Amino acid sequence: MAERRLSASAALAEALREEMTRDETIFILGEDLVSHSGIFGQFKGIPENFPGRIIDAPISETCVAGCGVGAGLTGMRPLVDFHFSDFVTCAMDELCNQAAKIRYMFGGQVKLPLVVWCPDGAGLRAAAQHSQSLEAWFVHTPGLKVVVPSEPADVKGLIKSSLRDDDPVMFFQHKRLFAKEGPVPEDADFIIPLGQAAIKRPGADLTFLTYGSGYHLCLQAAEELAAQDILAEIVDLRTLKPLDMETVAHSIQNTNRAVVVHEACVTGGFGAELAARIQVELFDYLDAPVLRVGAKDVPIPFSPVLEDYVLPSVAEVIEAARAVTYR
Amino acid sequence: MAIEIIVPKLGLTMEEAVLVSWSFAPGDKVAKDQTVLVLETDKVSYELPSPGDGLLHPLVAPGATVKVSQVVGYLAGDQAELATLRAEPPAAETDKAQPAAAALDSRASKDRRTPSPASADLAPKRIKASPLARAMAAKEGLDLASIVGSGPAGRIVKADILRALAGVQPAVATAGAGADSPTLTPTQEIPITGIRKAIFQNMHHSLSSQAQLTLHTEASAANLVRLRRKLNQRQGKDATKVSFNALIVKAAALALRLHPLINASVEGEALKVWRQINIGVAMDLGNGLVVPKLRHPDQKGVRAISQEILVLAERAQAKKLTLADLAGGTFTVTNLGAWDIDYFTPIVNSPESAILGVGRIVEKMVPVNGQGVAEPRLSLSLTIDHRVIDGAPGAAFLKTVKEFIEEPLLMLE
Repeated sequence: MAERRLSASAALAEALREEMTRDETIFILGEDLVSHSGIFGQFKGIPENFPGRIIDAPISETCVAGCGVGAGLTGMRPLVDFHFSDFVTCAMDELCNQAAKIRYMFGGQVKLPLVVWCPDGAGLRAAAQHSQSLEAWFVHTPGLKVVVPSEPADVKGLIKSSLRDDDPVMFFQHKRLFAKEGPVPEDADFIIPLGQAAIKRPGADLTFLTYGSGYHLCLQAAEELAAQDILAEIVDLRTLKPLDMETVAHSIQNTNRAVVVHEACVTGGFGAELAARIQVELFDYLDAPVLRVGAKDVPIPFSPVLEDYVLPSVAEVIEAARAVTYR
Repeated sequence: MAIEIIVPKLGLTMEEAVLVSWSFAPGDKVAKDQTVLVLETDKVSYELPSPGDGLLHPLVAPGATVKVSQVVGYLAGDQAELATLRAEPPAAETDKAQPAAAALDSRASKDRRTPSPASADLAPKRIKASPLARAMAAKEGLDLASIVGSGPAGRIVKADILRALAGVQPAVATAGAGADSPTLTPTQEIPITGIRKAIFQNMHHSLSSQAQLTLHTEASAANLVRLRRKLNQRQGKDATKVSFNALIVKAAALALRLHPLINASVEGEALKVWRQINIGVAMDLGNGLVVPKLRHPDQKGVRAISQEILVLAERAQAKKLTLADLAGGTFTVTNLGAWDIDYFTPIVNSPESAILGVGRIVEKMVPVNGQGVAEPRLSLSLTIDHRVIDGAPGAAFLKTVKEFIEEPLLMLE
């Protein structure tokens, strides 16, 4: 099959159209969606093709999330749009106290299919309240699944799995990656199961464990490291919960060194969880401490100069790679 | 009141020693003057006589480095006192004392009678290695202590294990230093401790405190070679062979008798000319050198001197030299002939005032009645402390040595 390239936004829209065609219980709820097909154009073609199944909600994330939980409980498969992932704070009770726990508190008698679609990440000069990467909060909440794709094909494959899943899924898609193109299978049944990482670049000297925008930092770093004869393997985790520890372990058993790269700030980030599990489960395979590369521990600045300084850079990734390989 | 077991000062320069072993298990009864522990300094091993009677309560584990005057254990008067000591070690002791004693107790319970040997796992220096390097070393049966780490702070990493398995030295280029980088990177770092530290300090002290001058001459060794051959032919196979070193030591000793000012040391504001002649013989240990002393070689036969040198060499290799073996030197002979050296400038073994460097014996053509004749020749280098020995008296001494070597019969005088 000829390779077809799509942007991440187009891949998302295509997947949604395919799934909404396949399953009429799927609908989209959010703020200001219909007139613009989503503020990033991410729902292109849906208002025209699926009238009534993409719904504008009042400006209240509490309402959006609450409606999603109720609809999911009563037999629908809602996707709720959060505009900016930062706004999840307005819906934390619905997401963390209700959605995450309902199946458990009802003893498994109900299921809650719900996709919470959250555009996240920095680099758009959007300042502290519109630039965060908050995935670790939800990894820390039992009952939620957490997906963070990096490439258009992953967006398509993972959003389809998320829509078909019977549990609530937090789906974080980086705003700066919407326009980034990549090969995307045309196949309407193309699925990437949740909890399946991908080794996207093989290498023998160290493993980059990454996801979302971190993947693209690692890709560039790996290119530059290869010129220095340091061969980095890139594991794109894709799903943080459930975590594909098997692929992580397999890679580290081969390379003996790991660097975790994510855009979220380092302290309390998902890298901490990974590093902890690696040292327990793979101690005897480690030839160096597991290093983490992430944003500095400050609110994302509005100043472009400062924002670039705070966010993780390719240079920092390379530096960490050289440190763990002692080169 | 419990009796303290204290590390004695075994030499002027001694500051620390390794406590090699305890001769008794914790709680055992020790009588005064029985050997209670064995110390090893950079030069000697020493069996410490017990300072009194009592029940042993060690504070320091075998293998530990201890300081002069450190209290390393106690002798308790009775079981009650022993129990008190075990319960709360005296405040003066280091915080390491209790775990060390506990380690000893657990060993002793396994084998009450055998003193614990020096043990690597109680050695103070921790080897840094990555978990993978440790696992690999364990699997391959490699001793991490023998591997030089190239990682941060000397951490042994996978690459070092692979190099060790391949029998290769660590690569010179490490972090931050490419092949063309001017930054120097060590392949290993050897701490200056123990015997190396002693040599370090003694050599520097010697050259910085004395005014050293070296004189060279060459002697015919024809008669010396002939004499040695005859001496060694006269006795059966079992007799100790007479060595060139012994003959040269004898010649030097007798020359010292004729030149007593060479056999002297500066002490304070005076030059002390020694009654005794004790000649040190420098011995290479591979990782350092020691200079055990021969007592009164001027009064001994060359076969006895040869035997003494052999015994001292064996003890030196086994690190069994005693303090007495190393003390009281008045002059030193050092021989580099085995390495094809002719002349060199030996450094005086301070506070002595002179040292004789002996080169190789090599055949050379010498003119005899206008004809070239092949003759074994021996090169000699004498370093003197010019503060106390002027050039001429030094040269006169060296000339006497040369005469004795060229005509050993002169030594009968």
